[in-house]
Amino acid sequence: MMETDACIHPYPVGTASVRRMAMEAGALGFGSIVVPGEVAGVYHGVRIIPAVIISEADLRRVIGQIRRHANSGNLVFVDAGDNGFNRAVLAQKGLNAIRCLHQIPKKAFDHISARLAYENSIAVEIDLYPLIHEKGIFRQRVLNRYNDLMRLHSRYHFPLILSSNACSVLDLRSPDEIRLLCSLFGMEKDDTDGALQTISTLISPVESVMVAP
Amino acid sequence: MKPRPPTLREKKRYLLLRIDPPTPDPDPKDLYFSVLDSVTSLYGDAEAARMMPVVISCGSGYAIVRCIRGYEEKLRIAIVTLTSVTERRIALHAVATSGTLLALRRRVSGLSPVRVETISSLHFRDREYTARRYQGQKVDLQEKGINRQELLFLTQDDLEGL
Repeated sequence: MMETDACIHPYPVGTASVRRMAMEAGALGFGSIVVPGEVAGVYHGVRIIPAVIISEADLRRVIGQIRRHANSGNLVFVDAGDNGFNRAVLAQKGLNAIRCLHQIPKKAFDHISARLAYENSIAVEIDLYPLIHEKGIFRQRVLNRYNDLMRLHSRYHFPLILSSNACSVLDLRSPDEIRLLCSLFGMEKDDTDGALQTISTLISPVESVMVAP
Repeated sequence: MKPRPPTLREKKRYLLLRIDPPTPDPDPKDLYFSVLDSVTSLYGDAEAARMMPVVISCGSGYAIVRCIRGYEEKLRIAIVTLTSVTERRIALHAVATSGTLLALRRRVSGLSPVRVETISSLHFRDREYTARRYQGQKVDLQEKGINRQELLFLTQDDLEGL
């Protein structure tokens, strides 16, 4: 299975073209990258996986957008909110991942949300951008949140994805560097390897085989 | 003064780092302060003192950094979190780790040197840029100006599509 950076932002959001991002990601050892708002394709041997990020606070709108994008061939990501929002969103079919968990209050993603994520095979994103770019109390807070997330993961085994949220080629990190970075919040090597490959299972989920009578 | 015998000296490890973007080379002193700042902010003063990170050399798109043996992994993590050297955006990627400087220098000589092929001026989105073309497809655009010099990372194909 391919190792995937679960979210990068090329030009015009970032400062690098999608081709250059793909080239650099390939050189670092990634087989694919997830790019919001981009069309599917292969550049320099790296697969581009299109995605949609829903960043709304209104639950009804979010659910409407999830339904609209569910079978569009894009991965559907939703920015996390408060506890009720997360539980409602995690019960939706068609959602692939919930993101920005480091930006919400600690109790907003609890054991019930974790179980819902596991039951509906919705991945939880670990954003490496604040670990790389923040310092001091902000980074400590993010590390604390990810430690808590790993505690929930060890109990409920919901899928995890790892993203650099790179806006420039200088923000990209190799899978080896990601493994090192993840060791900061107690993520084991096997878990990191699994998280780097989760996108492949989100694209082509393993479904139970039905035997026709 | 009689030098300390080798068995009593601290064992060291050397890390070979690739600098991105490779040109211009950062000042070794500035790079040292940035590495030290990354280590200190991530692990604190006590661990930084035990690790003793030092920039040995820096040039041609590569840098060699030294630390005390056993701390090379922590140093690599700290280097992953390094994002700038004196306001200039930078990324360092560890290429190799060795117990001797000689082995790393041999390795550097075996690596292909980073070559800037051409430097030319270019108009992009009504702005003037300096285009730096590297071997292969890479093209870096640096905005001309004094106040804000935007840096764009493109490929040859992107420029042909303009």
